Amino acid sequence: MSSTGCQHLQAYKAAGGKETFRIIYSYFVACSSADARHKKAQICKCVVCGDYRPRLHACLSCIYFGCYDKKHIHQHAEENKHHLAIDVSYGIIYCFVCGDYVYDSELEELARAQCHRASASLGLKQKFFPWEPSEEELILLRCNPKRRRVTEASHIGLRGLINLGNTCFMNCILQSLAHTPILRDYFMADQHACQATDESQQCLVCEMARLYQEFYSGSRTPYIPYRLLHLVWTNARHLAGYEQQDAHEFLIAALDVLHRHCKEMNGISDSNPHHCNCIIDRIFTGGLQSDVTCKRCNNVSTTIDPIWDISLDLGPGSIHSSHLLPSATAAASTAQTPSTGNTGANNGSSGNSSSAPSSLPFASADITTHSPSTSFTNSPGNYEPTSLVECLKRFTKTEHLGNSAKIKCSKCHSYQESTKQLTMKKLPIVACFHLKRFEHSTGYHKKISTFVSFPEELDMTPFMSSARCSNGFNGQVLRSRIPTLTCDNKYSLFAVVNHYGTIESGHYTCYIRSLKEQWYRCEDHLIKRATAGEVLNSEGYLLFYHKQVLEYD
Amino acid sequence: MTILVFIQSLQERKLKDAQMRATINQKLVETGERERLKELLRARLIECGWRDELKAYCKEIVQQKGLEHITVDDLVTEMTPRGRSLVPDEVKKELLQRIRTFLAQQSNM
Repeated sequence: MSSTGCQHLQAYKAAGGKETFRIIYSYFVACSSADARHKKAQICKCVVCGDYRPRLHACLSCIYFGCYDKKHIHQHAEENKHHLAIDVSYGIIYCFVCGDYVYDSELEELARAQCHRASASLGLKQKFFPWEPSEEELILLRCNPKRRRVTEASHIGLRGLINLGNTCFMNCILQSLAHTPILRDYFMADQHACQATDESQQCLVCEMARLYQEFYSGSRTPYIPYRLLHLVWTNARHLAGYEQQDAHEFLIAALDVLHRHCKEMNGISDSNPHHCNCIIDRIFTGGLQSDVTCKRCNNVSTTIDPIWDISLDLGPGSIHSSHLLPSATAAASTAQTPSTGNTGANNGSSGNSSSAPSSLPFASADITTHSPSTSFTNSPGNYEPTSLVECLKRFTKTEHLGNSAKIKCSKCHSYQESTKQLTMKKLPIVACFHLKRFEHSTGYHKKISTFVSFPEELDMTPFMSSARCSNGFNGQVLRSRIPTLTCDNKYSLFAVVNHYGTIESGHYTCYIRSLKEQWYRCEDHLIKRATAGEVLNSEGYLLFYHKQVLEYD
Repeated sequence: MTILVFIQSLQERKLKDAQMRATINQKLVETGERERLKELLRARLIECGWRDELKAYCKEIVQQKGLEHITVDDLVTEMTPRGRSLVPDEVKKELLQRIRTFLAQQSNM
């Protein structure tokens, strides 16, 4: 089998067959116009038996269709000495002299261009073609003949991290990021082109790239992430020092710095911050829709905010509700306001909060106008959820805002009672759920250690804005009617961060998934195998889910 | 006699069904819906691992018989039964649903 076809196909091409091939292909294999589709619908059936089912072939020498299964095309070929025919479903060429399909790279290129045109004409996504190495890549592959095969026994990508003095909060986040499949692919494919070459020491994105190189170098000694720590310290001052910090706060700060550095390096203007296409935004940013319905006129004002994570309340919740709803009043202009459900206002104060023990669950100062907001909260009802799905149901439930939180309705032009509902407008590739185990209310701080179960596979369909009842009257999320056939909104768990101890002092570890069903527990420099059961029974603090199906951009 | 009538009506029914199928096929091709369905099917089969599984099976057969001694026809004969049986029911259901919806929208049929 070669890529230049057989001698019969070569002879056909030499006699001007390329153009015939192109015409047949564009009319009967991949139609790029309504006219072609119409013709295909009318003509494409076996001349002998009228069958139009798969494996219908078109003669490449004359206008003739015959089915392959019943050998009608074979008869035609033999009687007329027309030796070549094309399969109209797949576009591959059969040679009746050679008795098999033949392949020609030149014709395949023509075919591919036509396929592109055909899918474009129907508004379909471009067809996926598997990777084939280019000339240059072939040379590289030949020069580097060593291949590493990933098997169940391999430890590829696993490396412990030295604790640099209460830095377990950082280590567990680094492990989670290092094992985020799509982020790993980005860095391993060397996609970050740092613009500031002389300052690359200062770029956290470059430092992350180094981390991936270190993780995948095959070295088994623990890695010391001192440069990374230093960079975080200099860029997120509130995390500097040797105190214990909150892993969630670190995650948000790290994403923020990475996002800022990506942007600086890529020179994307700040003018339209929410359409940033840096790798962090492409992976972590989701869109949270907030619908505020006026109780008097049922007018719905909708805002969509970019978010990096979803913070879920674990406590009874009712104490928060009156403080909710950041700014839905000025619906149109609030897209950039970070919202926090925290009662004690620490907006802008975390810059000097390094003395706070263990955690401040709401990173706020650094979540300034140019970063997606964090810590959206919604907790109607006063019960304690015991599973992630329950938390999400509560998060997306309609909430009555009550008498004390009247909002100016843009239609009634007066302050009215209203209801609010949060739903997911756009799902991020990586969904990060923050279970708010650290409760900071005026006067007391405590850790909630209740067990919250979470699934290995999560379907976000019920929490999507599209699942929201559109009549606007009750605004309840309809769960029963949504078909569960599609897996577009399905996620798989790939990392879990756990906190042990109290709010004052404790320790972070994490579980990460490296291969399909292989889990590891990372505790600073120690890494050992774990089972999925162990992971699911742990007291999760941060849960990382990865989208199962990715769309092509 | 009755049996003859029965057979006759059965044949008529069959013929009608075949005509209906042909008309539906024509509509699907003409509107491009067939291509859309094909794309959907392709995506679903990749997602559920069908493609990978069949590919592995295909490789196995080629290795067994040797690349020089195998034709596409041999592969098709070997693969088709397994390929058909491995398509998940949900995928079939989803596709059927899509076709139903499409036909419901075609008022002129």
